Amino acid sequence: MNNPYEVLGVSQNATDEEIKRAYRELAKKYHPDNYADNPLSDLAEEKMKEINAAYDAICEERRNGGKSDSFNSNTSASSFPDVRKYIMEGRLDDATELLNGVSAERRNAEWYFLMGMVYSRRGWSDQAYNYFQRAHSMDPGNPEYNAVLNNMNNRRANNNPGYNTAGNGQDCNCCDICAAVYCTNCLCNCMRGC
Amino acid sequence: MFGYVKVDRANLLGKEYDTYQSIYCALCKQMGKDYSVFSRFILSYDCTFYAMLILSLAENDPTFCSGRCRFNPLKKCVYAQTESKALSLAAALSVSSAYYKLIDNLADSPWYKRIGYRMIQPFFASWRRKCEKKYPQIVEILKTMSEEQLSAEADPDCCLDMAADPTAKMLSQVCGLIPDEVKLRTNQEPQKVKRILSAFGYYFGRWIYLIDAADDYEDDVKHGSFNPFALSDHGDHIAEYLTPTLNHCLSESLLSYKLLDEGIFDSIIMNVLTSSCVNIQKEIIQKYENEPSS
Repeated sequence: MNNPYEVLGVSQNATDEEIKRAYRELAKKYHPDNYADNPLSDLAEEKMKEINAAYDAICEERRNGGKSDSFNSNTSASSFPDVRKYIMEGRLDDATELLNGVSAERRNAEWYFLMGMVYSRRGWSDQAYNYFQRAHSMDPGNPEYNAVLNNMNNRRANNNPGYNTAGNGQDCNCCDICAAVYCTNCLCNCMRGC
Repeated sequence: MFGYVKVDRANLLGKEYDTYQSIYCALCKQMGKDYSVFSRFILSYDCTFYAMLILSLAENDPTFCSGRCRFNPLKKCVYAQTESKALSLAAALSVSSAYYKLIDNLADSPWYKRIGYRMIQPFFASWRRKCEKKYPQIVEILKTMSEEQLSAEADPDCCLDMAADPTAKMLSQVCGLIPDEVKLRTNQEPQKVKRILSAFGYYFGRWIYLIDAADDYEDDVKHGSFNPFALSDHGDHIAEYLTPTLNHCLSESLLSYKLLDEGIFDSIIMNVLTSSCVNIQKEIIQKYENEPSS
């Protein structure tokens, strides 16, 4: 692994507070939620893991503390496990073919969500948005669909992710609060070790 | 390309602006050298951005020297110099995109404009031939884009994403070429950089295409020309459709760009992505917000 201090962009003499601040900033910047529907999500995840590992290493080195938790990915029972696998592997044509082969009566909320995911990975964001909206309206309580749609809505509302422009006039709805609580929770979990 | 990729001078440091200007002048000189003195007239800020992106990631930092401007000998210019192919790649992109833009214009302009285009066509064609010898892949990418654009527009099932796809794909491939053609700084993995740049190029290309379409929306609707935003009906609320669609492209391109390791011109590139493009977008969308709704 690279020098953990270099990963966090701090000097070896940095105070605990400075390290924590640097970590929080990077975690916010590369948080997997930001990249949920981006084709480079795996790279962001890699980066996040590197940041987490560096922070853990520094904490351990400094305080002999325990290890922090890493993010838990949503592993819910899926009706289309193969499609999910193809999307993860970047085999978008195969995923589309499988999805198109699903008969009309079996097209549930997850089908629309995965279709949105395929379009989104291709960069066809407008179609993706329509599919995500459809999935959300069919299953409004699903946290996975909510998170992706919410994330996309944020991106559509602001053009600087992570650096929200002030006074954008967006209402704070219930989903925003859920997402904020979820993110804070993730961050807290990561920092539990220190 | 279309001239929407500029820097926001008010938010750049003096030295950053000088650096940008030196890349602009160096690209102008390179075009004169690689193609012909007349090709310097088609110099664009978009291709300067492309040159800057390459220089930002290339192994050796550029050096700077001063000289006189060929067009205005009274003016002293600072030129960026590099051993990498940054400038020649950007020059190739300039001439080949200009050629296909001309072909495009020839197809949909009135006869009197076409006479003018026909007169300059041989120059553009000869530059394209020169470019084909140096960088056949760039000419091929632009050619494919031009053909795909035509067929997308003719497709009765065309949607916004399909219309934006050829330009987005073109920039994605052109950006993806960078790690193949230019030696990157030691700590970067070419395959990873290629993926990031391709994704960045896709979203940024999409933004460029869509912002141009947004700019022309009113005229296109009036004249019944093709416009991706007119494919679905939004009545008087077109601004509410334009803003989130464009925001999303910029956000995604910015997210992708941030995955790259630090580049030497990050501050200028960030100025383009987070300030200049945002301002241009706001200005264009404002045209539609101010309109009284009936």
